[in-house]
Amino acid sequence: MNVYQATVLFRRVLENPQVTAESDFFHAGGDSLLATRVLSAVAREYGVELTFEDFLLAPTPAALASTVTGGPR
Amino acid sequence: MVGAGLAGLTAAADLAAAGVEITVLEARDRVGGRTHGIEVAPGAWADGGAAYLGDRHTELHKLMAGLGLAATPTAMDGGSRFALGGGEKTRAGRFPPLNAVALGELFDLLYDLTARVRPDAPWLTPGAAGLDAVTAAEWAAGALRHPDARLFFPLFLGEMMAADPASVSVLHMALYLRSGGGIRYLNAFSGGAQQDRVLGGAHQIAERLAAQLGARVRLNRPVRAIRQDGGGVSVHTGDGEEHRADAVVVAVPPLLAQSIDYRPGLPAPRATTATGRGCAVKVQLVYREPYWHAHGLSGWSVSATGPLLSTVDDSPPDAGAGVLTGFVTGAEAYRFAALDPAAREAETLRQVGELFPGLPPPDAVHVSDWVNEPYSRGCYAAVFGPGDWLRLGPGLRTPHGRVHWAGTETSTEFFGLMEGAIRSGHRVAAEVLSSHATLWREP
Repeated sequence: MNVYQATVLFRRVLENPQVTAESDFFHAGGDSLLATRVLSAVAREYGVELTFEDFLLAPTPAALASTVTGGPR
Repeated sequence: MVGAGLAGLTAAADLAAAGVEITVLEARDRVGGRTHGIEVAPGAWADGGAAYLGDRHTELHKLMAGLGLAATPTAMDGGSRFALGGGEKTRAGRFPPLNAVALGELFDLLYDLTARVRPDAPWLTPGAAGLDAVTAAEWAAGALRHPDARLFFPLFLGEMMAADPASVSVLHMALYLRSGGGIRYLNAFSGGAQQDRVLGGAHQIAERLAAQLGARVRLNRPVRAIRQDGGGVSVHTGDGEEHRADAVVVAVPPLLAQSIDYRPGLPAPRATTATGRGCAVKVQLVYREPYWHAHGLSGWSVSATGPLLSTVDDSPPDAGAGVLTGFVTGAEAYRFAALDPAAREAETLRQVGELFPGLPPPDAVHVSDWVNEPYSRGCYAAVFGPGDWLRLGPGLRTPHGRVHWAGTETSTEFFGLMEGAIRSGHRVAAEVLSSHATLWREP
């Protein structure tokens, strides 16, 4: 997963086209329910199952992409 | 006007303001319908019925402002307690200790369903017949694979719409979730449908509207029959009163509207044998203060087993009381409601003792059983079962001669919520006024 793909995913789930690579999910209209929709998409499209806590540590597209490419946990 | 809930009183206020002579007949000895205040300490109130509102509930906010009522935020700071198998756990925030990917897959499916439903006319949704033929439980059995999704789905549905998955159609589930603003909005406190409460209690909305209407509101008048003839319509109450009118608005839930005797009869039913009661029992535990705050807890909990499937802090702000409100929803509401009061209290106290160890015994326990409430027949709202939207939907707002329909279940916007009731009230008042020329023309 690259930063662009993560940004597109955030934009889709948040229905917010303003999201950039450094946007914090929880400041851009996201909450825990929507966060799970990012995690299900990551699992489905990139084969990486992250926990909710993983996402709290990587709540921007840039951080999420690096967590995902860092490999499965 | 038949019914002095939010829909009936909103419409009556609009009609009275337009100069229409109106009488409101209410079956109970109080106004407010599915809103009901419980005085938990002198001058401090909690909501035994409908309680929450969000910024999108624009008509409710307008009405409150006009009545001099303010909103107060729902306090959710602190950790949550979860009992979802394997003992009780404390977590920061509201996210349950379940597999996040599995919950995401559940929410993806629900999102797709809500996106698919046609919000203004669910019965015209592409594939409506298929969606209306299956229950949410049947859908879940086929669609959900992960045990955590299967565990969480009935809890989510109970919380969102007080429905047992076994009795709600997929089309209705999709409409309800869409109509309330989507799953994120309906689920959220801050930024969502539970952001605020009415300061001093939601029951004040109806009480203030009724005070303005004065003697036009008549209590203890259950309506049994509505008879139309060439010259008008007669409304008959339980004790034999007859009220003559040019037009009637029935602003009661569908199961109650269906129980009235209409002559001539209705061309389409208001409810069917598949139409269920919203399954909600609200339990309020009253303490001297919200002790859970001192333990870093918000009061929010979610449990896989009953009776209290969730709890939330419902303490009145700036008042000397801590209130923990428990929700008993879905199939569990029927079981719990059937218990005798001592058994209900014992089960409640046992569970609260496990969820919040060290909490002193409450000063009082109030149980609001909406399932068996004869003049509501369920809460939050009627649960449309298989086939209902296709059968009831097209005539939901179609007047039957001089008889018009209101109530939150006639609003495809915010169906089941206070906002839906108020919108239906404004809609029906405008409808009666615009029919005035033809409906009330002298022969």
